[in-house]
Amino acid sequence: MGKYILRRVLYAVPIAFGVSVVCFSLVYIAPGDPLQTVMPPDATAETIAIVKHAYGFDKPLPVQFLIWLGRVVTGDFGMSISTRRPVILEVSQALSNTALLAMFAVPIAFFIGYVMGAVAGSYAGSWIDRVVTGAAVVGVSLPNYWLGIVLVILFAVQYMLLPATGMGPHGSTSFDLLQWSNAKFLVLPVITLAMIPIGILARTTRAAVAEVRNQDFVQTLRAKGLTEWAVTRHVLKNSLPQVMAVMGLQFGYLLGGSILVETVFTWPGSGFLLSKAIINRDVPVLQGTILTLSLVFVTTNLIVDLLQSLVDPRIRRA
Amino acid sequence: MTDTIVLDEPLDTFEEQALPATRVRGYWQSVFYRLRHDPVTLAFAAIVLLIVWAAIFAPLIAPFDPYKESIVGRLKPFGWRGHMLGTDELGRDMLTRLLYGGRVSLLMGVVPVLIASLIGGMLGVVGGFAGGRTNTAIMRMMDVFYAFPSVLLAVAIAGAMGGGMANGMLALTLVFIPPMCRVAETATTQIRSLDFIEAARATGARTTTIIRYHVLGNVLGPVFIYASSLISVSILLASGLSFLGLGVRPPIPDWGLMLSTLRQSIYVVPLVCALPGVAIFITSICCNLVSDGLRAAMGVRM
Amino acid sequence: MAPSNFLILRRPRRGRLEGRTALAQRFLTVLVLALSSATAQAGGTLTVGMTAGDLPVTTGNPDQGFEGYRFVGYNLYDSLVLWDLSQPEKATEIKPGLATEWQVDEANPKRWIFKLREGVKWHDSCDFTADDVVWNLAYSTNDKAPQFNPAQFAQARSYLGNFAGVEKIDDHTVAFDTKVPDSLWPYEISYVPMISPCRANEVNYNWTEYALRPSGTGPYRYDRAVPHQRLEFVPNTEYWDKTRVPKQDRLVLIPMPEASTRTAALLSGQVNWIEAPSPDAIDRLKAAGMQIVTNVYPHNWTYQLNFVAGPFADKRVRQAANYALNREDMKELLNGLMLEGYSTVPPSTPYYGHPLLYKYDPEKARALLKEAGCLPCTVTFAISTSGSGQMQPLPMNELVKSQMEAAGFEVALETMDWNALTAVAREGIDKYPQYSAINVSRQTQDPFNALIRHVWTTAWAPKGSNWGHYSNPEVDKLIGQIFGEFDPAKRLALLTKLNETMNEEAALIFVAHDLNPRGLSPKVHGFVQAQSWFQDLTPVSVEP
Repeated sequence: MGKYILRRVLYAVPIAFGVSVVCFSLVYIAPGDPLQTVMPPDATAETIAIVKHAYGFDKPLPVQFLIWLGRVVTGDFGMSISTRRPVILEVSQALSNTALLAMFAVPIAFFIGYVMGAVAGSYAGSWIDRVVTGAAVVGVSLPNYWLGIVLVILFAVQYMLLPATGMGPHGSTSFDLLQWSNAKFLVLPVITLAMIPIGILARTTRAAVAEVRNQDFVQTLRAKGLTEWAVTRHVLKNSLPQVMAVMGLQFGYLLGGSILVETVFTWPGSGFLLSKAIINRDVPVLQGTILTLSLVFVTTNLIVDLLQSLVDPRIRRA
Repeated sequence: MTDTIVLDEPLDTFEEQALPATRVRGYWQSVFYRLRHDPVTLAFAAIVLLIVWAAIFAPLIAPFDPYKESIVGRLKPFGWRGHMLGTDELGRDMLTRLLYGGRVSLLMGVVPVLIASLIGGMLGVVGGFAGGRTNTAIMRMMDVFYAFPSVLLAVAIAGAMGGGMANGMLALTLVFIPPMCRVAETATTQIRSLDFIEAARATGARTTTIIRYHVLGNVLGPVFIYASSLISVSILLASGLSFLGLGVRPPIPDWGLMLSTLRQSIYVVPLVCALPGVAIFITSICCNLVSDGLRAAMGVRM
Repeated sequence: MAPSNFLILRRPRRGRLEGRTALAQRFLTVLVLALSSATAQAGGTLTVGMTAGDLPVTTGNPDQGFEGYRFVGYNLYDSLVLWDLSQPEKATEIKPGLATEWQVDEANPKRWIFKLREGVKWHDSCDFTADDVVWNLAYSTNDKAPQFNPAQFAQARSYLGNFAGVEKIDDHTVAFDTKVPDSLWPYEISYVPMISPCRANEVNYNWTEYALRPSGTGPYRYDRAVPHQRLEFVPNTEYWDKTRVPKQDRLVLIPMPEASTRTAALLSGQVNWIEAPSPDAIDRLKAAGMQIVTNVYPHNWTYQLNFVAGPFADKRVRQAANYALNREDMKELLNGLMLEGYSTVPPSTPYYGHPLLYKYDPEKARALLKEAGCLPCTVTFAISTSGSGQMQPLPMNELVKSQMEAAGFEVALETMDWNALTAVAREGIDKYPQYSAINVSRQTQDPFNALIRHVWTTAWAPKGSNWGHYSNPEVDKLIGQIFGEFDPAKRLALLTKLNETMNEEAALIFVAHDLNPRGLSPKVHGFVQAQSWFQDLTPVSVEP
């Protein structure tokens, strides 16, 4: 068991390295000179040469990569070009704001999706199954940012129940979850963000429940004389691991893929930071954000894998 | 329910007597059979075909010019002066824009999935069949890209390359190659160890022949199903990219871009502004349901 | 927003109230909050949704265009010369700021003597003296000085084109030297805010730290900021102009570059002031009881052209572009919220004169293009998605594109962020030769910025705002005369001649003049919209 864990963790290292290579090279596949963004306005050729040397842009690419990697490993992501704040600070603040959304969206999605999927799976083939599955499909087929816009028009503008944008009445740094005046900013973004996970979790649960029901032990339970409800409880318990695995993956996915929803709600999270960095061509923030988000995703996947194998030793991927 | 041959007269000739008593149905026949008796999937498949047909023949069936603006006729509701679905913020006919937009959106939905299936499928089959070091190398490479959430990767690549339709398609293709590769590799690995492959090898068949005749046929099923489920994801991702400004540039009609530009006018004609979202939704959900139906018919477990 | 939540006691972390002292403490806190909240109702909090994509910098000359000046530059800081924003019926003029009077030196027309205001204190309590003025000019121009800030140099450059030097005469008098005799110098120095050398020294010239603790002489003090999200100011009760101590309790600035977000924020009550609402949302805003205020102001929505490379080097092509535009249609696009633009300055400007007007005539445009041998004529415009004074850039540019293409052009639009576009504008065509034109709205508040900087050879970017490197010896001569003419009447005639020449030369593509729309909640009182890019927020109060 311990060896498996060690193997799995060690395996993540080359993945992380590959991820860093991809992040680093993203900047260089971009058209235009990355140097442009860090240069003072009217630099002479001499100044350009000096800055090039200071940033190490005159060295060959692999060497530049290693230098960058070295700094990154010690936590130095450089300075944001637009705000001159340390990138690590920007990214960590933004990430914690997105994590707040994900922390609410995923459990909500899990509860709703699991119930839906359990119902659908238990009555597989009937009209209930079709209706619930249909609803789940709706969840994954709707452009969630569009839903967000519609929700804002309805609840913020039309009925003035909830705020339209931002995170908290005083900004994200003084966001107090325990006060409704702050917490109400969470409602619409969380609903919007939860939509796709609800659909995915419902479908996964349905498939898992339907599959477990077909297994032999269910027949055995019935033969032993258990009530249908007791049988169902067993079925649900056995389908839980698969679904929880997907839920864990969804959490990591939401952390990295929240950009559309955050743009609509101007939520100061990692996705929003990324979109700003792309627009401003703020290279250090771009690299730092993408690297952090993907490493978080890798770590989440790793944890989910390990937890899964702990819970069910049969599931051990090579 | 099998087809039985009803005998009116006893069999006379040897040939007749040698016929099997029941007609054995082939794999594909059973697939089509199941589909034929699945009205829901057929209905949605018809809608998808209708959407595709409308997009292809947009220039012929569209009532107006998608680029013709009319300041006087801006943001008009349904039915105004022959504009069945109203006009947009520059006075262009919405129905026409939606039809033409469908071309772009469907293109950006299908092409990346197609290319990713080809490339990813190929890589997966090669890796799965070769096994060992090659397989490990290929799958590790794929794992690196798997490490990125798809939205993040698509936005990062499209954003780094500067946006535009081609870059968007490139970004989406790169996002879909790893999952396609993994599906193909899993299927190939499962097939590879089966007896009939050993038998084929024992008879001296070349590797390419084995792949062509035995492996591909079995891998195609899962790959096709998975690809069909990706189309809806691709359409949604592509529209998201356009919404962020990383997709096609104005004035080219595209559903995601239209959603973005119509956002400001939502107080004037809310129903008209909601239309591109409806179009994305309908296309996406139909593709999803058809994909689900195909999966059930083909008996593929993913 | 404040009243409803302080009554909800925060759930104590440990789960139990510990003892009577804790209870008493809690009661006292609630009482204090209640009282302060009650007094807070007097002036209210003005929450502004700006079109800027991010918070303007607080280190002196702000970025994010004139919106930065409007909300940060002239609130935290003062310049030696300020603008009179109290009279909405007239075009704004300059008035004394940190300087009480100024005049050109009799003996030397290249020298201006400014008398400084006495008794002014910085927010950090140091005294304002002539040394501070000298320090500030070195801060943004002298790269040998220890306080030199290259970012400020870039921002201030376009206003200090004629700056040659500054000298302290005594503790309350300074003398400016200009490169050429410049009768317009007081206008130019009005755009240069003064920051506190005391505070700068305190932070050891660490500008990142200074940005979080700025100190000026302005009517507002910096209170707090959440990066990218909000900037909060409180009144400077010791402001030297007692008529302009802010009446509200707090000013909150929030960047909202998307018009639909601003509209939703105002309608949902999240903000009580928005800049530039989308014209299509105006009816909805009015129906909800919002005040929509407009006024003509010195604004020009235009395209500056590349005179060196590309089709616009040919005057006929420039004229063709102007003839191709149907400005009435553009006005319809904006629900009437604009003035058709046929010249660099709006017709209400004193030196408008009788310029050649390029009325809509696509056939003439096509004929001109044919004559110039450029049919179809391929051009690339650099445009932004939003920004201070940019109005509704995306639909407007799409309309311009389709109108020009109907006349024989082929227009490619390259979209970028507002700050990125202003950077392109600052650098000029040397660095960005691929653009035929840039769509940067220009302020025309004073003669230098209205006319001269577009066509003066000395103002070639990156030294000034002559983005496309227009050069015409006749025009340069005329400008020299303007600078040297200290008699206002005679100068006006020369300025009129300059405006008419610019039209004749089709030095810009003339499109529109904005009407400066803003949306205010019905609870906002006291605002007077001046005919200016800058607005005085100090008389505004917000009822609860």
